[in-house]
Order: sequence, then structure tokens, then C-alpha cells
Amino acid sequence: MIVLRAEDVWKRYDDTIVLRGVSLNLKKGETKVIMGPSGAGKTTFLKCLNLLVKPDKGRIWIDGEEITSPKADITRLRQKIGFVFQELNLFHHLTAIGNVMIGLTKVKGMSKSDALKKAKETLKRVHIEEELWRKYPAQLSGGQKQRVAIARALAMDPIVMLYDEPTSALDPGLSSEVLLVIKELSERGITSLIVTHELGFAYEVADEIVVMNRGRIIGGGSPEELRNAKNDEVRNLLNKWNGLKDGVLV
Amino acid sequence: MEFWSEYLSSLLMGFLTTSELVAISAPLGIILGIALGASRVYGGIILGSFARGFSALFRGFPLIVTLFLVFFGLPEIGIYLPPVTSAILSFSLCSGAYISEYVRGAIMSIDQGQSLAAKAIGMTKLQEVLYIILPQAIRRAIYGISNEIVYMIQYSSLAFAIGVQEMYSVARTYNSLYFKSLEIFSLLAVIYLVLTALTTLFFKGLIRKLEIPSKAE
Ligand SMILES: Nc1ncnc2c1ncn2[C@@H]1O[C@H](COP(=O)(O)OP(=O)(O)OP(=O)(O)O)[C@@H](O)[C@H]1O
Ligand SMILES: [Mg+2]
Repeated sequence: MIVLRAEDVWKRYDDTIVLRGVSLNLKKGETKVIMGPSGAGKTTFLKCLNLLVKPDKGRIWIDGEEITSPKADITRLRQKIGFVFQELNLFHHLTAIGNVMIGLTKVKGMSKSDALKKAKETLKRVHIEEELWRKYPAQLSGGQKQRVAIARALAMDPIVMLYDEPTSALDPGLSSEVLLVIKELSERGITSLIVTHELGFAYEVADEIVVMNRGRIIGGGSPEELRNAKNDEVRNLLNKWNGLKDGVLV
Repeated sequence: MEFWSEYLSSLLMGFLTTSELVAISAPLGIILGIALGASRVYGGIILGSFARGFSALFRGFPLIVTLFLVFFGLPEIGIYLPPVTSAILSFSLCSGAYISEYVRGAIMSIDQGQSLAAKAIGMTKLQEVLYIILPQAIRRAIYGISNEIVYMIQYSSLAFAIGVQEMYSVARTYNSLYFKSLEIFSLLAVIYLVLTALTTLFFKGLIRKLEIPSKAE
């Protein structure tokens, strides 16, 4: 069953065409990784999927409903997509648990006590322990912030989680705790679309890796298939990333 | 002796009137300022232009002109407001116009990521503004707002011009009767000073209460 479907998505900013007809399907329970050099259009594509950026052309379906349709209920459909941003943008004025609760109470209309219970469960799922629940974002480490951001998205019970380079704003030492959480969620069947530069992580977690360059998907396949990629452009990119991450790719 | 007891009791009445003017105008001005500031950013063409025009207007001429327009001008179109009400209305309009500047600036300074994150969890624009942007923007604007309320204490003395018996008008009256300018106005100055200090203290407390903790506690 396809839970997320993008068809021929185009986006231009002024005179740069950032997306040139990107199509992608995501099946229930699947984990896909998007890789690509800086400026390839990865962030723009993810933001198109929940209409944070409005595509110029192309159609997108979430759970069978077209979000790009003029009569789509965008705020309702967005709740079905959990989004974790490249920048660490927790709500600064709310505690960790407040960040998770606000969508539940204000958007989903849950009671305070139900929301509190759900927020606690979700924070535990991302390994944020009780002593951190009442801390404000400025009091948390980057890795903790990003895990709270994952919890904030996850608590809304989305049918798919999108992660946009969730570790690129973190100190290297703090990446692993975030990647571990994403991997756990993916292994427990949370449908995930992950943009990352961490090739080793991509090989570990992905059912399929999609390679993007200059606004196009230029190749892809299972980690196994990619290791033996014939496409020169894909090979070159992989070798470049591989150079950054010693010993991952043979 | 007679003079002092009379002056002090009249001044007390004036003090209460001044306090009433400020205590009512300040919250009204703050609410108006927040509404105008938010409208200027999010109001679209119609509401936005209205809010921009409104705040440009009331920052564009002296408060005393507003006072006269409200108290002497409105009756010509059949609206009669008592002096105290006229003063409260004028002060609220004026402070609202200035406060909207601080609020607008504060809203603009909130980083785009906050808005994107609010949208991503399915908030409507209104929810985003009410629950995410304004709580942060008001915290940033509060220094400006507190200054504005301190100014309001000072300019509340202008209400004498439309016959409100506030502190300054009491002092003026006694001065014209007794010519003890130094005593009369020194005492007045001290009371304004205390009022200003108390207000500043109040806002300091509020700011501390609203402060978002950072770093380890
Ligand atoms: N709001 C915008 N206005 C103008 N140009 C933009 C805007 N957002 C992105 N771009 C441009 O679109 C291109 C793709 O940007 P995007 O952020 O999608 O790339 P990316 O693949 O996510 O890169 P990175 O790995 O650095 O995050 C870049 O050239 C960028 O400068
Ligand atoms: Mg990006």
C-alpha cells in the first residue's frame, strides 16, 4: 500500500529550477533514504510533500488523498506527515513536553491529561528521560533537541515521518543517539523518508536509497544494488561520500 | 498646615484618578497594540492596511490633539464622552499605536523555522500566531511595552487639558491659589517618580516571570 506518492514535482525560485520532475512512492512500513549533494533540492522536495513549499507543478497524495488538490484540507493532511527539520526548531517558549503536547491539545483537540500521557510515552520512545521533560530547548543538547523534535512529530500519529538531515546541525558526537532513534522507529514499522549525508547510516537503515542531483532523481536501489551501481553519476557521488566515511563502502 | 492637609487630600484624589487612567488605559493599549501589530504582519491587504494606517495616524500627531479631537471634536458628530473616558480612549489609542511598532518588530524577528514547525504539525495560521509566534514575540516586545507604559504615566498629565482632575491638574490649581510652586511641584514630582518606579518594578517582575530558561538552572 502506497502511503505517500509524489508525481512529477517541479519547483523554481526566480531563475533557478530546483526540482525538475521528481517522482517518488513510499510504501507502508518502508524506509527510503534520499542522498544528494548540497543544493540538489532535497529540502525543497521534502517541504513540497507537506506543502510547506508549494510546487509549481506536480501532484502529491498522502494516504490516497491529494494534498495538491485545490480543495485539499491542508492542515488536516499535514498532520499525517511528521516532519523533522534540518535546523533545530523546537518551539523556544515551551518545555520539551510542552513542545510535544501543543500539537495534541491545540491541533488534535486532546484533553490536557490525555496529551500529557501521550507526550510522556512518546518522549520515552525517543529516549528522553523524565528529568528532561520540563527543560526548555535552550537547556537541551542538540541531540536531545532533535529527539524531542522527533517526538513532537511522532506524537501526532503520522502515517509517514520525513527527516531532513536530522543530524547535520549536531556535533558529530551527538549524531549517533538521534540516528539510533530513527533506526529504531524505522525498524518498528514507521514509514520513513530520510535525507542524510551519512552513507553508513543509509546503508544500515534503508530499504531503498534514492540519489538526487540538480533537481532530479538520478538513480537508486537497495543498498545492495547501489554498491554495484553501474550509473557513473551515481557511482561518482557515492565514491565522494564514501571518501568522507572511511570503510563503509567496499 | 491648612494648605498641606488640603493639598495632600486633593493630591490623593488626583493620584487615584491618575492611577485609574493608567490602570485602564495600559491594558487596553497593550491589547490594542498586540492586535494592531499582529494585523500589520498577518492582516493581509485590508486589515493590514487598516492597522498600518491606524498606527501611523496616532503616531503622526501629538497626543493633545487626539485628546481635543475626542473630547471637543466628537460631540460635534453627536458622541459625548466624559473627560475621564475621553482621556482613557485617547491614551489607549496612542499607546496602542506605539506598542504595535514593538510587537510588529518582535514578530518579524521570530525565525521562520518556528512558523514552519507550527505548520508542519498541522496548525492553522491563527493557531500558529496565537500559540507559537505571539507568545515569543510578546516576550521580546515587553521591554518596549514597559517603556511605553512608563511614558503613559508621564503623559497622563495632559488629561488636565480636558478637565480631568488628575494629579497634575490638582497641583496646577493649588499653585495658582497658593504660589508655593517649589513645594507643590516637588511633591508632585516625587509621586510621579514613585509611580514610575513601581511600574518599572512591576514589569521587571513580569519579565522575570515570563523569561524562558536557558542553560542549566
Ligand atoms: N526560498 C528559496 N529562495 C530561493 N532559492 C532557494 C530557496 N530555497 C532553496 N533555494 C535554492 O534551491 C536550491 C536547492 O536547495 P535545497 O535546500 O532544496 O537543497 P538541499 O539539497 O537540501 O541542500 P543541502 O544539502 O545543502 O541542505 C539551492 O540552490 C538553494 O539555493
Ligand atoms: Mg537541505
